[in-house]
Amino acid sequence: MERSINHSVFYPHPPEVVWDYLTKAELMEQWLMKNNFELKLGHDFQFNTGPIPSLHFDGIVYCKVLEIEPLKKLTYSWKCGPGKGKITIDSIVYWTLQAKDNGTEVLLENSGFKEADFNVVIFNAMDQGWLANMNKISKILNETKDASTRA
Amino acid sequence: MPVPELDVFQVIADPSRREMLRMLSEKSLPINSLAEHFDMSRPAVSKHVKIMYNAGFISIEDIGRERYCTLKKDGFDELQKWISFFDNFWKTKLKNLETLLNNKIKKS
Repeated sequence: MERSINHSVFYPHPPEVVWDYLTKAELMEQWLMKNNFELKLGHDFQFNTGPIPSLHFDGIVYCKVLEIEPLKKLTYSWKCGPGKGKITIDSIVYWTLQAKDNGTEVLLENSGFKEADFNVVIFNAMDQGWLANMNKISKILNETKDASTRA
Repeated sequence: MPVPELDVFQVIADPSRREMLRMLSEKSLPINSLAEHFDMSRPAVSKHVKIMYNAGFISIEDIGRERYCTLKKDGFDELQKWISFFDNFWKTKLKNLETLLNNKIKKS
C-alpha cells in the first residue's frame, strides 16, 4: 500500500515569490485553504475547508510548524479527523524549494500517514455498514444454527 | 479452551482484540508474532484469534509451520481513502498555485 504522496512542480518564479505563497496566511488562502498559519517554529495552526462526510472528515486540518529553512524548506504536521478535535489521520507535509532555470522546483511530500486512533477507524468502518453487515450475517448464521439444533 | 460465539460489537469491545486488529491492519502476522506483543498465554492469544476469525474479521492461512492471520480489509480501507483524497487534493492545489502565480506575471 502506497503511504506517501509526492508531487513536483516547476514554477517560473524565484524562490522568494513561491516561499511567500507557502508561508503567508493571506496568500496561502488564495490557492490552498483558509488558515491561521504563522512562520514560527512550533506554531499550532489550522486549515479550514468544507466537511466531507464520506471520508469522516470535518474539514479542519490540525497542523504544527516542525521545520523552517527560509526559501528552502518548510515542514508541518497534518492531522485530521471526524470532528470534535478527534484525530484519526496523522501525517506530515514537507515542502522543498530548489532554485532552477529562472524558476523554482517545488517538491511536496505528504507522508508518514498513520491511523492515529484505531478505535475511531473501527467505528467509522461500522458506520459504513461493513461491520453492521457482518453482524447481520453472524446473526443469521446463529439463527440457522439454533434452528438446526432445534430440528 | 472453549471459544464463545460473539457478535462484532463484543469482538471489538475487547482492548486486546482491538490492538490485534490494529496490528493486522498494517500487515499479516503469524499467531506467534502476534502473541509476542501480549502479556498473555499462547492459548489465550489463540482464543482471541479464533474469536476474530469466527466473527469474520480475519482469515487464517498456514504457511510453512506458521499460522498467518490476515485482516479482511473491506471495512478498514479508511487510510487508503484518505491518502487518495489528499493525493488529488494536493494535485489540484498545486495547480491553483500555478494559475495564481501565472496571473501575477501577466498583471505585472
